[in-house]
Amino acid sequence: MTAPSERFAGVVDDVHGERLAAALLERGWARQTAEARDDLEAIRALVVELAASHLAIDPPASSRHGEFLDGLGERIAVDALNDLRLAVFRGLAARTWLRPAVFRLARRALEVLVGNELAMQRRVNLSIQMPGDDSSLLPLHADSWSGDSPYEIVLWMPLVDCARTKSLFILPRPAQERLLPAGEPGILAAARTVDELFERVEDHVQFVDVPFGDVLLFDQNLLHGNRVNREATTRWSLNCRFKGLFTPYADKKLGEFFEPITVRPMSRLGMAHRFPKVPETPPREPTP
Amino acid sequence: MSRLALRGYIGSRPLDGQRVPQHVQNLVVRDYAARHGLEYRLSAAEYVMPGSYLMLEQVLAEIEASAELQGLIAYSLFMLPPDSRRRDAIWRRLAAAGAVFHAAVEELAVAGADDVERVETILSVHGALAAAPSPSFAI
Repeated sequence: MTAPSERFAGVVDDVHGERLAAALLERGWARQTAEARDDLEAIRALVVELAASHLAIDPPASSRHGEFLDGLGERIAVDALNDLRLAVFRGLAARTWLRPAVFRLARRALEVLVGNELAMQRRVNLSIQMPGDDSSLLPLHADSWSGDSPYEIVLWMPLVDCARTKSLFILPRPAQERLLPAGEPGILAAARTVDELFERVEDHVQFVDVPFGDVLLFDQNLLHGNRVNREATTRWSLNCRFKGLFTPYADKKLGEFFEPITVRPMSRLGMAHRFPKVPETPPREPTP
Repeated sequence: MSRLALRGYIGSRPLDGQRVPQHVQNLVVRDYAARHGLEYRLSAAEYVMPGSYLMLEQVLAEIEASAELQGLIAYSLFMLPPDSRRRDAIWRRLAAAGAVFHAAVEELAVAGADDVERVETILSVHGALAAAPSPSFAI
């Protein structure tokens, strides 16, 4: 009989989880198959329905949802895009099942990478990027540079196959640690604008290919963003932030931006716990 | 004739020790634009690191390169760099581009030398007060 292991279990207890954790720690992002394909299909069907409704056309058959979204550029001009985006965003926000469905796409991975007591962003973001459109760009940034907590992870969910400039780029962790070492100016010393900063990281960033059916989890402390979509079809993606419920919050506060989703029983008991009150009593006199 | 647009500019750092959520800053900027008949363009959010003005510099560069952007609407005047020489360079760049700086909270627009003098006076007093001992008015 072998002796019991002296090690605590790692953060994960299976090979897939270990791979996810290693990828996030070493490179800065992890890709996996969506854990709930039915939910992903339902989310995409809703987006198609909302877009078709806004465009006043009949929604396509489910087998053509991807093709419909990919081909948006053939249906509308760039200057009509924002109204469409807002219409779909509002429609998504009105569906109370959306956030639980988004969570189910990566629940296991989030538990491995972040924890099992989680806070989730209250509004799932939508990004649409038509080919050649330079008005919908998200310039180089790290969320934690703009008010997010360093403890947050981003779940990024493409609704169409995304590759090369149709996807997002991320500065891999080794490059970021080399170019922007903690507590030092690094390349910030020679960059006055965001564009100048991008010029200094451009050779190091990687566009992450993510087909529909997969999801991406990435460390938003790493610089990332998108460029003009030079591919032939339109990008549609959702993104949503998660963090450990009891980890520090930054400018994106609990309540206004985040909401608890998986509070465990012992935490509820702990938060409700109150000691009994010891009454103030006069000093006891010596017994005669 | 279409109106010229202005870029919003909001912050990630506290102002005078006060935190204002970014979506609230955006509401104030949008409201200012609507009330003054200005076309608002999605805000740029300054980075959280102390002393960072990368996003402000990016907006200025964008204004200089664009025929469409007429200037910017900052959430507050006090988001500008505390260094007066740096601000002076900003005023000169905006003037050269024919652009206007708006401060939504303070309801101020800087479109010329007189406006610059006005807001620089405000900023100078603000800086002096911040550096001065603060008396207690508590009874």
